[in-house]
Amino acid sequence: MYSYFIRRFLLMIPTFIGITFLCFTVTRFVPGGPVEQAVLRYQQAMANTSEGGGGTSDSAMEQGQISEEMMQQLKAIYGFDKPFYIAYLHWLWRVLHFDLGTSDTYSRPVWDLIKEKFPISIIFGLTGFTLSYLICIPLGVWKAVKHGSAFDTGSSVMVFIAYSIPGWTAGVLLLMLLGGNAFLDIVPSGGKESGYITEKSKLSMFLQQGALAVDLPAEIRSQYPKLRDNQQISANHPAFAHVPSEKRFQLKTGGHADLNFVGRLLDSMWHMILPVFCYVLGMFASKTVLMKNSLMENLGQDYVRTAFAKGLSERTVIFKHALRNSLIPIATGLGHMLSIILAGSYLIEKVFNINGFGLLGYESLIARDYPVTLGILVIGSMLKLFGNIMSDVLYCIIDPRIRFS
Amino acid sequence: MANELLKVKNLKTYFKTEAGIAKAVDGVDFDILPGEVLGIVGESGSGKSVTSLSIMQLIPNPPGEIVEGNIIFEGTDLLEAYRRKDYDVIRKIRGNKISMIFQEPMTSLNPVFTIGDQVAESLVHHKGMTPKEARDYAVKMLELVGIPSARERIDEYPHQFSGGMRQRVMIAMALSCDPSLLIADEPTTALDVTIQAQILELMLEVKAKTSNAAILLITHDMAVIAETCHRVVVMYCGRIQEIADVKTIFHSPQHPYTQGLLASLPKPGQKVRRLSTIEGMVPSLFNLPKGCSFCTRCSKKHEPCENVPPEMVETAPGHFVRCHLAKPMQSV
Repeated sequence: MYSYFIRRFLLMIPTFIGITFLCFTVTRFVPGGPVEQAVLRYQQAMANTSEGGGGTSDSAMEQGQISEEMMQQLKAIYGFDKPFYIAYLHWLWRVLHFDLGTSDTYSRPVWDLIKEKFPISIIFGLTGFTLSYLICIPLGVWKAVKHGSAFDTGSSVMVFIAYSIPGWTAGVLLLMLLGGNAFLDIVPSGGKESGYITEKSKLSMFLQQGALAVDLPAEIRSQYPKLRDNQQISANHPAFAHVPSEKRFQLKTGGHADLNFVGRLLDSMWHMILPVFCYVLGMFASKTVLMKNSLMENLGQDYVRTAFAKGLSERTVIFKHALRNSLIPIATGLGHMLSIILAGSYLIEKVFNINGFGLLGYESLIARDYPVTLGILVIGSMLKLFGNIMSDVLYCIIDPRIRFS
Repeated sequence: MANELLKVKNLKTYFKTEAGIAKAVDGVDFDILPGEVLGIVGESGSGKSVTSLSIMQLIPNPPGEIVEGNIIFEGTDLLEAYRRKDYDVIRKIRGNKISMIFQEPMTSLNPVFTIGDQVAESLVHHKGMTPKEARDYAVKMLELVGIPSARERIDEYPHQFSGGMRQRVMIAMALSCDPSLLIADEPTTALDVTIQAQILELMLEVKAKTSNAAILLITHDMAVIAETCHRVVVMYCGRIQEIADVKTIFHSPQHPYTQGLLASLPKPGQKVRRLSTIEGMVPSLFNLPKGCSFCTRCSKKHEPCENVPPEMVETAPGHFVRCHLAKPMQSV
């Protein structure tokens, strides 16, 4: 059994190389890559200057022509000067040293970007994922137990609707209806926290005490050169403790950071409602139906009849004997939790403008920021490969019949 | 007889399907005495399994439903409670006073619980034992049914046991609460021929060692009946055709169907080229003949058979036959 898992781990290496080599090669050959985009930007810039300045430059520059020398320099900047297989080996070598390169658009190391955005996506995704399990398992069980009843039929209609609407589409629709554009204004229009809280907002009651930066003692003030004189600071600011108590006042307006703990929690939750709803919606139908069918199938098994023949109550038979077996396919899905969350985050984060892993990936694709795209591919495929093994491990733990060799 | 253990009176279990109502069991009467082994024999679809499942109230509903009858077990009418929807009555009896062994040992045990858990479960449930006591008792039961090194194997899962071993576990499970009736629904059909005799012997042996439970043995195998039973019920198309003790059935069967069944058995020492068969097919349950249900295949069919359903006739003490040809015994 251990040798099986060791073999699985070793198999990850060629799989990983296969995935990344394929994607890397594609990035080298599709049109519209970073070099072409840089040329386009250059040409646009030239066109603008020639219009505005009435330029006297030579004809080649006027037409936005780029010299061969410049082209070579551009290619060198983006690493397109070498044959793709050499470039791939260089890239792989750096990845093995945990260096994913530097983003073309952010000019920051890709690792730092991913490390910064990853937790945001995980909080949203994990909440949605957990919630979907908490809803779908009881619902599926209940539908199986009450198979054919009005409740079962009614909830099946819901399942069909949820199945036919992708989570992010529902997100767009709900944002239109509830986000203050068309109908109601009860949810924020995006983001993960409020930028500015006005006096009218209900959240303003959670604002803390604050003070003006000008009231700080001079020696403290000098430690924070960025503070402007009339800038508010709240109790969360490290310098606030030094403000004399008579200068403190209750904030009327402020940002997310100026709220107390309860306020920040509520603000975050308020921003999470719709995105998390979309995550749940995306997984709702298939998971509910899987749970129901799995339990229905097990309820028809001979061992369930044996359990009834023992004199056990219906509750014990369903929840102990049948449910334990029918949870096996659901529980093994947990191994793929992270990759499912990340896959779902691309469009949902775009719709709700959540600055997370998915949005980073989406924008890197649009901007042809290949270091980021490939960095996200590395993380995504690693999670997927580990998820496969995790699923197998979970299978071994919950199903005694499964022994890999 | 007043001291019967189980009395089945006019039991009717119907299945409602799209094609119509299938009268799987249509008016069955018999009783079981304490400690006796009663066999029910019949072809597939004769209603023998449905009868046993009706006693346990394990008929899947829908589509099946017990529509009429009484099942009196140790003085309690189980079906009367069933009609009152008082399912606690049968729940206290199932697995405790009446237990059951099924045909498919391969799938009748829950794959994700250990053998020990499954044997101990009914002990904890019915006898109020602590899990520790139940476990020790389960080891004892498994030793009794001949599972080698039971103390170690108790923590294994069903898939680690062979079919015969699993059926032994089922027997241990069924007899652990000292039931007074054990229903065995074709317990050896799915097993290897070499194991079948072992399992039957084991059932009788363990029964003798424990509470001497009565056994209701369902089978289509006349040899099994001859080997194990005291009395025999012959069923055909949801009705009992003949009841008698095992000797009478084998030596002087009255019903043409029973005669046909016996004629189709190979006889030792007798050289025949082909075994005789009963001509024809079992009629569809949706389209039974108006008269005797066996009339479509009967070699002794005569005038009233097709139109008048025969009544049960007692031809000798304890020997009942449902046939127009049977002559009631002379009342003294």
